[in-house]
Amino acid sequence: MVWHLDLVLLLFLVATAIGVYRTKDLLGAAIIFSAYSLTMAIVWQQLSAPDLALTEAAVGAGVTTVLFLITISRTTRREDD
Amino acid sequence: MNKKVQNYFVLIVMLLCWAVFLFAVAEMPLMGDPGNITNTHVVPRYLEKGVEEGGAPNIVTGIILNYRGYDTSGEVTVIFTALIGVLAVLKRENIKKDKSLVEISPVKTSVIVTTVVKFLTPLIILFAIYMILHGDVSPGGGFQGGAITGGSIIAFTLTFGLLATMRKFRLSIRIPLESSAVLAFIASGLVAMFFGLPFLTFLIPGFGFHTQELIRHALFIIIEIGIGVATGIIFASIFAAMGKVSKE
Repeated sequence: MVWHLDLVLLLFLVATAIGVYRTKDLLGAAIIFSAYSLTMAIVWQQLSAPDLALTEAAVGAGVTTVLFLITISRTTRREDD
Repeated sequence: MNKKVQNYFVLIVMLLCWAVFLFAVAEMPLMGDPGNITNTHVVPRYLEKGVEEGGAPNIVTGIILNYRGYDTSGEVTVIFTALIGVLAVLKRENIKKDKSLVEISPVKTSVIVTTVVKFLTPLIILFAIYMILHGDVSPGGGFQGGAITGGSIIAFTLTFGLLATMRKFRLSIRIPLESSAVLAFIASGLVAMFFGLPFLTFLIPGFGFHTQELIRHALFIIIEIGIGVATGIIFASIFAAMGKVSKE
């Protein structure tokens, strides 16, 4: 297990999580969330859980993002506040 | 209460929660410590006897399908229930009348995207089939393979439109396949009951070692294929129901 890689990945996770919550553009937030899922997939792989990594990459980064995008395109793109 | 006071109140509550969670985390056992409770009870048993009791060379599959068979059958039902929930709110697509967002979008799909999707879809589906069939030997299995299939079907629909894709996956084909995971799991679980064993037993005694292995392998493959096909089709169906644009 590479210690430095893990540190970078975990910091990126925190950064993307904050990014999702700070972004007012929902399309951008969905894309950042997809990046979060992809990073999470690599973290699962680092934790020796390839099954979860595959699921996270396929469902979290792939299918869920598309479903979010569809929902955004059917509703509004900007968050009211 | 005005907004500023309210915000400070929320901040204080959040900080308190954070402190409580921090103390709780400090109490947790260290990761990878061999003296952990989780590492002294079931894990050694799974690792030592998982292959002979669970029956699969891949211990994770053995645990999922054998030790925790009831849990997995519940999860399989949950995916099916999610589809029912989506279809209860949104209607099924009608390939003659409905269009997808791609077809009504003013932006034309780039030729790079079309070519890449056209080239990659068969390869992705081939990889998914490999993953489903090798579920009891290597990481992955029915759900992962099915999710990859569903993702590639969604990518294809996003590029070539709902009509072109769902003509290949007609409703008459999809409706029986959506329930295949639950049916395959229950059918494989019931096989043991004909021999007087509990539900969801995959290692059936009374045969030679090789026959027993063969039966176990066949049952696992049936379950994996059922879960894989159903997951892929369910993802495609949910996507089709959500992504359709009905003509007013």
